[in-house]
Formats: sequence, structure tokens, C-alpha cells
Amino acid sequence: MEMPIIVLAASFALFLWMNVPVAYAMGISTTLAFLLLGLPAATAVAHNIATGIDSFTLLAIPFFVLSGLLMERGGIARRLIDFANVLVGRFKGGLALVNIMTCMLFGSISGSAAAAVSSIGGFMIPLMNKKGYDRDFNTSVTITAATTGLLIPPSNVMIVYSLATGGMVSIAAMFIAGVFPGILVGVGLMIVSSIISIKHNYGKGEGVEFAGAVKRFFYAIPALLLVVIVIGGILAGWFTATEGSAVAVAWSFILAVFLYREVKISDLPKILLQCGVTTSIVFMLIGTSMAMSWVFAAQNVPQNISEALLGLTNNKIIILLLINIILLIVGCFMDMTPAVLIFTPIFLPIVQGLGVEPLHFGIIMIMNLCIGLCTPPVGTCLFLGCGIGQTTVTNVMRKIIPFYISMIITLLICTYTEGFSMWLPKILKLITD
Amino acid sequence: MLRQIKKTLDKILETVVIVCMALLVLDVLWEVFTRQVLDNPSKRTEELATFLLMWVALLGAAVALGLGGHLGIDYFVGKISKGKRTFIEIIVFLLIFLFAGYVMFYGGIDLVTSTFMLGQVSPAWQIKMGYVYLAVPVSGFFMVIYSFLGMCERIKSFYNGESS
Repeated sequence: MEMPIIVLAASFALFLWMNVPVAYAMGISTTLAFLLLGLPAATAVAHNIATGIDSFTLLAIPFFVLSGLLMERGGIARRLIDFANVLVGRFKGGLALVNIMTCMLFGSISGSAAAAVSSIGGFMIPLMNKKGYDRDFNTSVTITAATTGLLIPPSNVMIVYSLATGGMVSIAAMFIAGVFPGILVGVGLMIVSSIISIKHNYGKGEGVEFAGAVKRFFYAIPALLLVVIVIGGILAGWFTATEGSAVAVAWSFILAVFLYREVKISDLPKILLQCGVTTSIVFMLIGTSMAMSWVFAAQNVPQNISEALLGLTNNKIIILLLINIILLIVGCFMDMTPAVLIFTPIFLPIVQGLGVEPLHFGIIMIMNLCIGLCTPPVGTCLFLGCGIGQTTVTNVMRKIIPFYISMIITLLICTYTEGFSMWLPKILKLITD
Repeated sequence: MLRQIKKTLDKILETVVIVCMALLVLDVLWEVFTRQVLDNPSKRTEELATFLLMWVALLGAAVALGLGGHLGIDYFVGKISKGKRTFIEIIVFLLIFLFAGYVMFYGGIDLVTSTFMLGQVSPAWQIKMGYVYLAVPVSGFFMVIYSFLGMCERIKSFYNGESS
């Protein structure tokens, strides 16, 4: 391997260990590599950051963040919890099922796993504790279920993947391809939580009589309508993904401020600021990832990895398995956005050569990296969830293993069954054969 | 003194980010309206949106640094003694300081001047692209200040920690 790459990798690992914010760690390591290559490092990295942000497509990201924030504070999560309770509350371990179901519904309207952990976990974990469910079990359920939101559209990381493929895959196709895999992950988690609930004899949720059920259903409709308007509008070609995200902001604003009346106009500057800050963190990651990816490409890293992998075997099943294992390890140490931007250009050409659709590979990659969100040492959902559940990573680790296993099994099923991701986009004619 | 400076800076930057973010939402909603209802979309709204995004994202990054909001991994550092941890934090701020100064500020100015020299102009608004990229060095400038302040604070607590 070339010297610049070794320096880049070693310094990056050191910086991560030192708790340098990830975007800066990538930026500094990349700058060092540029210097070793004898290139004008400062200008090149600054240029990569500026051009990385300069894109109309990426504009959907701040808007989905903003609508997620409005929903989080607008009491939408609670209406969805009530609604999910009607559907699955009466079974054994019902509250765990309600928790997972709400995460899936919330994911289908917000697209941020962190927002799901805080707004659903903040309500469900204390409630489940009170009903005698184990605290670490409750936290594990919330952490893992929240990731389904990244597969069920809309989803910011899918926009990033579409960017990483250079537009080879459309955002609309990615959104639709994620629907079944997302539901499948949710169902897998429900099965695991039911088995554990039966074993520990956790109680049933409250039954809801018919009149109450109808009322709760109607309260949740405006929230659920959002996904119909936004995804329907994008599919029907009424608006682009970016415009759809702006419509999502408008709709969640109306719900949170006028209909459910939980957000005041005077709260808006604070929400806008938080959105600006969250957005900037994502965009700094995008900018520095692109610079790092440029160095890799200039040093032929993708070709070298490709040759190494294909030198082992050219069996599609084994290569996909190897890539999945590499990505699982990467996901433990890296946040999702940089992982997608850096590893898509490396792995996509390999699997395409073996006849895997770019759309299908995008879903595999995102499903895989979702597991990384729940694992130490870098797991946004894990740490957020432990904070909200008022427990520690070590305690949660004992209870979360069955959920990891369920997610990995679902990942493997989806990896080797292209139909789960490809069927719906094909029917809707979002891709041509 | 230091705290007063930081407070004033925070206020200015936060206001700019909030205003840009609000304009961004209105701008894209206006675009949807002109396309759907008036059936007369304007290239200008799209371009304005990318300009605003550039400024929101970059100035927001400076605000995030001021708030200590960027994602890092405190898994390993959390296991070290407090004195050593403060020492590492000082180095972290120094690294960010160098990055912000060299890449964001110095590199950003280089980017802006070379864009001005090429005379690149945006298609719809006819704005010189140099003004759009100006967000990079401006953000870098604020990052330099914030990382410097962060470093000072840690150094102070490092010495206080040693003596007490």
C-alpha cells in the first residue's frame, strides 16, 4: 500500500480514539494525505467541501431534518403510539410491539433514526418500565426498532447513496426499494421481542374498545397522510424529492402548530437553529468524505480492494458475504454518511460486475450500516437510547444480542433475495430491466 | 471577557443561520407553488436555494463547533483519568484550530480568489460564484475563534485541576 494511504488510515484511527469530531478527523487525515502527495492540500480540501455541499438534490436533507424536528416536538409520536396500540397492543408483550410498530410508522414520516429514539423512546421506555418490563430490554427494543426509519421512506441516507452512485440510482427508486426490507426488519424484531416477552411473562397491553379505537385512528390520520402526500407526490412526478421534502416541512408545520397545537410560533427560531446545526454536521461529513474518497480514488484503492476480493473468489454469494462482513465492521467504527460515501465507489463496481443491481446493493448497504448504529464504539442510536433509557451501554449489551441476530438474519435474507428490494420499484416502473 | 465575546458571536451566527434556514424553506415552497400552480418555474429559486444551503451548512458548522455538537467518539477517552482527558481535549482543539485555519480559512480564501479570477458567474442570478464560496473562509474564521476559545478554556481547567 502507498504511504499516503497508510498515514491517512493510521492518523484517522488515532484521531477517532482521541474523540476528534468525525468530520474533522476525516478532514485532517485527508489533508495530511494531500500534503504527502505533494498537492495543494488546503485549496483541494476546501474545494471538495464547497462543491460537496453545492447541490440541489442534497437540499432535501435539511428539510427532512426540519420536518422530523417538527414532528418530534409536535406530539405526532404520541398519536402514532395510540394508533399502534389499537393494532398490536392486546398481544403478549404488547408494549414492545407497540414500540416497534410506532418506530416503523414514525420512520415512514420522518426518516431520522435519532428522532425516533428520542421521541418514541422518551415516552415508551418509562411506560414499559412502569409496567414491569426490563429496562435494558426496553432500551434495546427502541434502539434497534428506530433504525427501520432509515429503510422506510423518506430517508436521508438514501439521498446520500443516490449521490454516491453519481445519480445511477434515483432517490424515488431508493425510497420505494426500502419499503419491504424496512418492514421485514421490523417484523424480525417483533418476533424476537415476542419470544422474550413470553419467556419473561411480560404483560399484555391495554385492550381498546371500539369507540376509542376509531377515535385514535382519526387522530393519527393527518400524521399518516404525510407519507401519502410526500411519497405519492414524488412517485406521481408532481414534485422532485427536494420539493417533496419542502412539502413535508409545510405539512408537519401545519400539524404541529395548528392542528395538534404543541409547537408555538415562538419555538420556531430554536427549531430552525437546531435544524441548521444538524444539517451542517451532516454536510461537513459529506464534504470531508468526498475529499477522502478522492484521495482513495487517486491512489487506486478501489481497484486494489477489488482485485484482492476477486482474487479470492468470483462467487457472487461469497463476495456479497465478505462485503457484508467488511461493512458490519466498518459500521461499528464509522457513521453512516461517510461510510456510504466512501465505500459505495469501492464496492459498487465489484458487485455490479457480478450482476448485482445498484439499487439492490444500496439497500443491502443501508440495512447493514443500520446495525452499526446500534453497536459500540460508534453507534448514534445506541448512545442516544442509553441516555434516554437511563442505563449504560454495558447493561444494554446483555439484552440487545438477540436483536442484533435478528437484524443480521434479515440482512442476509434481503441480500440473497433481490425481490424484496426490486419488486416494488419494478412494478411502479421506477427502474427499467 | 472571553465569555462575552463568545456570547456575542454566538448570537450573530445563530441569527444568520435561523434567517437563512427560514428563507430556504420559503424559497423552495415558492418553487413548488410556481411549478404546480403558476406552471412557470423559475431557475432563480433553485439557484438561490443552493446558495442559502451553502451558507447555512458552513456557518452552522461553526455554530456546532461552538456548541460542541459535532459527533465524536467518547467511548475510549471516557476510560482515561480526568487530567489526561483534559490534556487530550487540548490537543483535539489544537488540531481543529489548525484544520480551520489552514484548510477552511487559508484554503477557502485561495478558493474564493481563484474563483473570482476565473470570473465564474452563476447562470440564473449572474452572481460571481466567489461570493457564494466566501462562506468557506468566513466559516473557517469563526471556527478558528471557537477552537481557540475552547483550547483556552481547557488549558485553564487543566492548570486549575493540577493545583487543586
